[in-house]
Amino acid sequence: VNDERRPYWFVLTGVVIGIVLGLLYAWVWVPVEHIDTHPVTLRDDFKDTYRALIALGYTANGDEGRARARLALLGDPDPARTLAIQAQQTLADGGSADAARALGILAAALEGQLASSEAVEVVVVSATHELDATLNASPTAEDGTPQSEATDTPQATASATPPPTPRPSQTATPTQGAPFTLRDFTLICNPNLSAPLIQVYVYGSGNVPAAGVKAIVSWDGGQDSFFTGLKPEIGFEYGDFEMTPGVSYSVRLVTGGEPITGLTPTECTDGSPPYWGSWRLNFTQP
Amino acid sequence: MILFVAAIAAGIGLGLFYGWVISPVELIDTAPNTLRMDYRADYVLMVAEAYQVDNDPELAVRRLALLGDQHPVDTITEAGIFAAEIGYTFEDLQVMRDLADALRSWNPNLPPTSTSPPVTPTLASEATGETP
Repeated sequence: VNDERRPYWFVLTGVVIGIVLGLLYAWVWVPVEHIDTHPVTLRDDFKDTYRALIALGYTANGDEGRARARLALLGDPDPARTLAIQAQQTLADGGSADAARALGILAAALEGQLASSEAVEVVVVSATHELDATLNASPTAEDGTPQSEATDTPQATASATPPPTPRPSQTATPTQGAPFTLRDFTLICNPNLSAPLIQVYVYGSGNVPAAGVKAIVSWDGGQDSFFTGLKPEIGFEYGDFEMTPGVSYSVRLVTGGEPITGLTPTECTDGSPPYWGSWRLNFTQP
Repeated sequence: MILFVAAIAAGIGLGLFYGWVISPVELIDTAPNTLRMDYRADYVLMVAEAYQVDNDPELAVRRLALLGDQHPVDTITEAGIFAAEIGYTFEDLQVMRDLADALRSWNPNLPPTSTSPPVTPTLASEATGETP
């Protein structure tokens, strides 16, 4: 009986040895070489690099069609949202502000939310707003009513700075638009907001949301910055900064602009117990 | 013996069939140095376009290094030749050429020249005090 079974054991052993040899050949001795790959196969961190380059390229040449075609290569299901998330992540990680801004601008452009070519340019706020007196007064508005338009006294004194980087020769330099000015500001009493915020809304001409506008926040002994357009779930014209009670802040749009001073967390008393309100600043481009 | 050899051959066939057909290698998590040549050329163009924005040659070199161990200027040259062959516009080729020229004259051991625009500070460097 044993002699009759022996050939079958030989066959089985041979097959096993063969399979091992075949797998060794396919996976070890002659492994697959990754050449001529497609961007969709890139590792996630390389995709992030690729995406940032696409956004920076868009900032350089303003060619939305090209940017869309490049993004399509990465296979993101929602490219605009992916760009916006990466922009926020870049800032959170202390990465390149240029890249974060470019990502935000491209995200806004894909959503059709970019105000105009001026949003890509650096624009200096030309208005001077001294709002300390009004802001330090006890607010009475609790539902978004503008309080101090009468004290808004913009002085068109500053001039626009040239673009920070050279433009490619084939791309026309965008026409510099009118600078953004503070339209109004409001104390927002929203108990759902867990912290007092400086909320900046920036609109281009025609009241179109303007993404990629940099706002600089200063306080005694410190400074930080943020961009509009990085929270598309709220709006591409929106950017915010969390305040600390007891600290007075000033805000300006882009380097060189005159600050809006005296922004301090203010309590809202419409509820019990009182809670912190947020300052909403609306900027517009005449 | 013949049967044994035939079994091994059959096993090899099964192994290859499994490795190449049933469970083929999936191309995921690849690096830019494996990109097809047309994508490499476009990648180089993007690096050149990004250089126009940040004007940072060191950053451009780091980005180009993802394409391989070649000298960055050689990488640009190779991509530029291919780009010209497949019909890139003169303007795009010029952008790549500008980056190559910048990298030829760039010395990583020297500080940035005064003609370079100031680098936009990052959040970390902008925060000069403690976060309130």
